[in-house]
Amino acid sequence: MGQLRLLIQVAFRNLFASRINLLIGAIIFFGTLLVVVGGGLVDSVDTAMSRSIIGSIAGHLQVYSDHSKDELGLFGQMGGEPDLAAVDDFSVIKPLLEKHPNVKTVVPMGTSGAMVTSGNTVDLLLARLRELYRQRVDHGETPELREQLDSLKGHVRHIVTLLESDLANKDTLLSDGALEPADEEAIAKARSDAFWAGFEQDPFSALEFLENRIAPLLPDGTMLYLRYAGTDLESFQKSFDRMELVDGQPVPPGKRGMLLSKFFYEEFLKLKTARRLDLIKRERDINKKRIAEDPEMQRWVKENTQQLREFALQLDPLKTKLAIERLQNHLGTKEPNLEKLLASFFATTDDNFDARYATFYKDLAPLLELYRLRLGDSLTITAFTRTGYVQSVNVRIYGTYQFKGLEESQLAGGLNLMDLMTFRDLYGYLTPDRKAEIAEIQKKSGVTAVARENAEDALFGSSAAPLVADATPGLLNDKEGMDGMGHLRREDLAERVYNQQELEKGMVLSAAVILKDPSKLKETMAELQQSAKDANLPLRVVSWQQAAGIIGQFVMMAKMVLAIAVLIIFVVALVIINNAMMMATLQRVREIGTMRAIGAQRSLVLNMVLVETLVLGLVFGAAGALLGSGLIAMWGHAGIPAGNPTLYFFFSGPRLHPTLSLGILAAAFVIVLVVSALSTLYPAFLAARVSPLRAMQTDE
Amino acid sequence: MSAGQSPIVSIFDVTKDYSLGKVVVPALRGVDLKVFPGEFISIAGPSGSGKTTLLNLIGCVDTATAGVVSVAGQDTKKLTEKELTNLRLHTIGFIFQSFNLVSVLSVFQNVEFPLLLQRKLNKAERKDRVMQLLEQVGLAQHEKHRPNELSGGQRQRVAVARALVTRPQLVLADEPTANLDSVTGQHIIDLMKELNQKEGTTFIFSTHDAKVMNHANAVVRLADGKILDRVTSAEAQRAMAAGAEGH
Repeated sequence: MGQLRLLIQVAFRNLFASRINLLIGAIIFFGTLLVVVGGGLVDSVDTAMSRSIIGSIAGHLQVYSDHSKDELGLFGQMGGEPDLAAVDDFSVIKPLLEKHPNVKTVVPMGTSGAMVTSGNTVDLLLARLRELYRQRVDHGETPELREQLDSLKGHVRHIVTLLESDLANKDTLLSDGALEPADEEAIAKARSDAFWAGFEQDPFSALEFLENRIAPLLPDGTMLYLRYAGTDLESFQKSFDRMELVDGQPVPPGKRGMLLSKFFYEEFLKLKTARRLDLIKRERDINKKRIAEDPEMQRWVKENTQQLREFALQLDPLKTKLAIERLQNHLGTKEPNLEKLLASFFATTDDNFDARYATFYKDLAPLLELYRLRLGDSLTITAFTRTGYVQSVNVRIYGTYQFKGLEESQLAGGLNLMDLMTFRDLYGYLTPDRKAEIAEIQKKSGVTAVARENAEDALFGSSAAPLVADATPGLLNDKEGMDGMGHLRREDLAERVYNQQELEKGMVLSAAVILKDPSKLKETMAELQQSAKDANLPLRVVSWQQAAGIIGQFVMMAKMVLAIAVLIIFVVALVIINNAMMMATLQRVREIGTMRAIGAQRSLVLNMVLVETLVLGLVFGAAGALLGSGLIAMWGHAGIPAGNPTLYFFFSGPRLHPTLSLGILAAAFVIVLVVSALSTLYPAFLAARVSPLRAMQTDE
Repeated sequence: MSAGQSPIVSIFDVTKDYSLGKVVVPALRGVDLKVFPGEFISIAGPSGSGKTTLLNLIGCVDTATAGVVSVAGQDTKKLTEKELTNLRLHTIGFIFQSFNLVSVLSVFQNVEFPLLLQRKLNKAERKDRVMQLLEQVGLAQHEKHRPNELSGGQRQRVAVARALVTRPQLVLADEPTANLDSVTGQHIIDLMKELNQKEGTTFIFSTHDAKVMNHANAVVRLADGKILDRVTSAEAQRAMAAGAEGH
């Protein structure tokens, strides 16, 4: 007891006696600091991300067809959607999975992507005009309707004026005359009073002229890539706690419909000017950046002062007048030109930004359509089906939603949700409705289904003639009839309520499994895989991490990088501590020899050196761990701002509030002790071999 | 000394060779020596004569090439490394030319160190013993000081206390005064002598200082690894004086 106390005392006193010890101490200190801080951060990111991923779309487990070429990647993968084979009937696998005692719910799923056009301003205006004229045909004219019609017409005319001056500018800029004579002619016609005077006589022809000849000349309107997940929306909402509705309403149970991700809605469908203002505000408020210092924010401001066309197009003459008044008021000037007013209004600085942001939303936004697509509108989605033909489906947008913690993430936050039926249509899966519809069209049009191997015979053989000749007369040319039918069908589909059995009896790409006890994830995974095998169903069961694809691997990668960094640091530390202890031992040869001479056994010397390094390790390790925990606690309290979308995703929110687990602290201590013990073994062995004779040597 | 007593150190026909590469350097050549309890013996001789080698053999920190070295009745050749260490711990005290205190330990702790190694006494007993010795060497006031806060003479007195704290039968001192000025050296030798007389501890010390030799009961004179003679200190003085005249 006394001996150990003495050794510890010697160790403590030696702690600051030599510079070598301070060097070793510093290495241990920083090593521990790194383990604690790095481990704490990665651990917190891991926890935050796994919570977001599991709670947003992945669930704890995902089940998909074993015939799939690629692995499941719910957030997509490099180069597009993974190639998955469909699970033909969800109603077969659901009971199989739900049988397991640890399974809470099973949610059907399928992810894919398609192109949508956001439509340009004139398209939207003309569509609304057409709808109003249809109303007039159906229900007759009312004073309000007249007013709306005139206002919209005025707006379209205003746009044509803007368009003409735009194109004239372009003409002078590009000497080779960018404008076709036919286009010039069309604009001249649309500008003429005669065209507008004759509008009311045949509004549909006039609208068609504008749609076909004028709208294509306007540059705005873009093709967008839309990623979506088809699912049982009701069950999805109940099962995934990270999902929350932002605007609008949930899709009514059993109905077709879609919820756009808030991120997608803001990023791609919002008026760009407004979006950029929002982004600047976010940087200022959340990340505490300043326009004066941040090049990206300066770019946004610049774009807002330059890209005013989209803005100006939206304003009809009346609203233009209002906007000019309000801007003059706010800016305190008499400038009559809207574009100049807007340019100076949007040239925001750190000083005036907040005031202008408020003014924009209070005074200007009410004059504008802030979003290209309003909640409640229908969106036309055009997708390539599995078999390669193009399929378009109209689907109503009920609202926007977001996954808590993944709001700003392109990958995860960009995912839109739709009902399973629409998903199956786009996928090219024939729902019973579809089958019936096709049969009806076949019957009406007189088309006969011809098997591929008989096709040549049918087309060119003796009996071929009627097949082609009878195909279309009277139906495809009958515009009204076709229109009416298509319209009817759409209405039908949009209003139809599907029952649970219809939803579940059909294809899905995967099924998300939510567990009662997530800690038994591995066992449950193996058991579900086994029961699928027993039931002779070709299914793959994977964990959320595998299912999340690249995203799931981010955390693994971060962990690996940290582990490698820790490993390198400690290997280096091992070598340095080893060398330093050798030097320290050599410096103390006479002291050790003296101890040996006056009766200390070798074991005591060995223990002495070991205890010294352990004490060093504990003292400096504890200091490092203390500082590390302090930093984590400080950050945990204040939060680390994400700063950019990538970090936002890793942090699963605008700020990461890291916490430290006992496991990390324990791991840091174990690592430190093992490293110091290992690195001291050889020097300690050498010290124990020091002969007592060395005590007799004099300094000379 | 009295013939009835058995010697505490008994050396018979001992040789010790050091090999420096291929050359074998003989340090001791057929040495015989008996030291009895209570003696205060000085080993004298010019440097290289084998004084330190002889002390190392007696102190069990080295072993002879040939011959028998018995300490406290034990043939050192037959003992293991561990047993030799124990023999040093319980039977022998060491005083070194350069004091060899543990720099990070206090005066008290330095003196206590061998007692801790022995594990015989409890804390209170250790404290009594250490304080008693520190008083004997006149350093009770300095028990909390570190060695580097003491003068050379004070440090050597701490070393004397450390050597004697286990109440060894035999204390070996290799040139204990060589690093001290003559007055301080004198005091150290006086202290050793006093303890020798009071406690009856056997002292063997090497020196080439005639004044230090004066205090010894007997002087063993070494030259070229052989014992010239064993004389009283007065005789040794005369011989040295004659030697000096001869030069």
